[in-house]
Amino acid sequence: MSQGRKIPHCMQEQHHALSEPQGLEAAQVSKALEETSSCSSHPLMPGNLKEALAAGAPSTPHSLQSAYSSYTVTTISSSKSDKCFSSQEKETGSASSKSLSETEGLPTDPLDEKVTLLVQFLLQKYQMKDLITKADMIGDVIKEYKDDFLEILRRASECLGLVFGIDVKEVDPTSHSYALVNKLGLTYDARLSGDEGMPKTGLLIIILGVIFMKGNRATEEEIWKVLNMMDLYSGREHFIFGEPRKLITKDLVGEKYLEYRQVPNSNPPRYEFLWGPRAHAEASKMKLLEFLTKIHESDPACFPSQYEEALRDEAERA
Amino acid sequence: MQGSTRRMGIMTDVHRRFLQLLMTHGVLEEWDVQRLQKHCYKVHDRNATVEKLEDFINNINSVLESLYIEIKKGVTEDDGRPIYALVNLATTSISKMASDFAENELDLFRKALELIIDSETGFASSTNILNLVDQLKGKKMRKKEAEHVLQKFVQNKWLIEKEGEFTLHGRAILEMEQYIRETYPDAVKVCTICHSLLIQGQSCETCGIRMHLPCVAKYFQSNSEPRCPHCNDYWPHEIPEVFDPKKEREAGISKSNKRSLRSRQH
Repeated sequence: MSQGRKIPHCMQEQHHALSEPQGLEAAQVSKALEETSSCSSHPLMPGNLKEALAAGAPSTPHSLQSAYSSYTVTTISSSKSDKCFSSQEKETGSASSKSLSETEGLPTDPLDEKVTLLVQFLLQKYQMKDLITKADMIGDVIKEYKDDFLEILRRASECLGLVFGIDVKEVDPTSHSYALVNKLGLTYDARLSGDEGMPKTGLLIIILGVIFMKGNRATEEEIWKVLNMMDLYSGREHFIFGEPRKLITKDLVGEKYLEYRQVPNSNPPRYEFLWGPRAHAEASKMKLLEFLTKIHESDPACFPSQYEEALRDEAERA
Repeated sequence: MQGSTRRMGIMTDVHRRFLQLLMTHGVLEEWDVQRLQKHCYKVHDRNATVEKLEDFINNINSVLESLYIEIKKGVTEDDGRPIYALVNLATTSISKMASDFAENELDLFRKALELIIDSETGFASSTNILNLVDQLKGKKMRKKEAEHVLQKFVQNKWLIEKEGEFTLHGRAILEMEQYIRETYPDAVKVCTICHSLLIQGQSCETCGIRMHLPCVAKYFQSNSEPRCPHCNDYWPHEIPEVFDPKKEREAGISKSNKRSLRSRQH
């Protein structure tokens, strides 16, 4: 991959202050890809890419550490009605073979059992990146305790947040559907990566970045210009990403990270990409902007409209 | 859950990311787990000393206890590599697979599982599994489709394929040992040394007791005249070597090469 390639001119107009043409250098883009993949050196990566474990973004920059600060729960003295599961003896052999409701002797809060089951259920759903409906949860897990649904969900959500760093967000109040969102940021998601830690997440971040920088929608042509510079061509199988067109129009759309639609009133029909609902939920515009500007050593403030938008986004998230 | 929130105090983003990554991988070998742990520290707590893996995991497990979930450590049956997976302790079925596969696919797995458990070698041939395709619950599945599903099981690390035959991946054993022992109490085989479920292993030709390959390796380590621990007869099989992670990394042998070098023994 040649070091000298620059992003198309259409992206350069965003920037005024710096004299150098702005945009994502292809080599830095591939550095970003490597960085956002696992920290292992992947055997198929060409040697120069391997070295690109540069410090900093997208791992949480220290300034944003507060947004993702650790949960330190101060010690809580155990209440009188100490729930069964926490005080149960750890008998790995026999206890685990009993059903949850048969735990010995101690009074069981029946809701606790449902909370545990719901946590396990949601963990499985998280890995599938499915949306979950209230009906699913009641039908499969909560069953007879459906009147306590909100309380059970609240406790399960608290648990998921504290222990796994996963948020349960209601995405559609009318259909009561919920999404499980990674609180820890979109830096590494092995599910999106292929079997051997392929950095598809990095590619996603680049695409989200392009869309964002172009005012929240990017035409298919604009996206392909960027991808072509990374040696990704429609219809041509890439040794890391597979067939790129399928990846961006089907896989990433299916995962709800991207939206792919026809440009309104376009004839002949042209298509554009937007952020999908999952991208909105998981990706922070501020972090993305910082990451993108850091790649080419500028500053978010050099992109005033995006910076303003990112600030608004931050405020909404708080 | 109130008492356990006390213990949740140790959970930081380092631990949370670790859990998420372990979950998404399904199962990981020990050196991968160590790498992952370091990655989590690097991302969230750069200046902290990386805690010893065993303690790190025990701490997380103390929090997971009340959820009936555990980071479980096991060992691959063919070459004794340590592996880790996040398992549900209260499983009453092959539930971990349930969200990934359709009803007929799960039933195919169950059929394969039964053949594997009943077999002498711990392996079930592709042919024998595919012949059961007509008996599957749910939507009708053709043999061609079933071949693909079997490959999906291999990719998701529930089964291992060797020369057209299938056996359980270490992950499946970690996740389902309890379910298997409860569901097939008469058919399951157990290792004399470690008393865990045994799918692949070596057996004494005289008295029939069985041992895992890594258990054989440890038990007979530097013993020039290996004898059956039960009947004292001469142990007729080749004694494998004890798994040494350092030696392997030095030799630079890739994981996949090593697996194919090891031959099945029984």
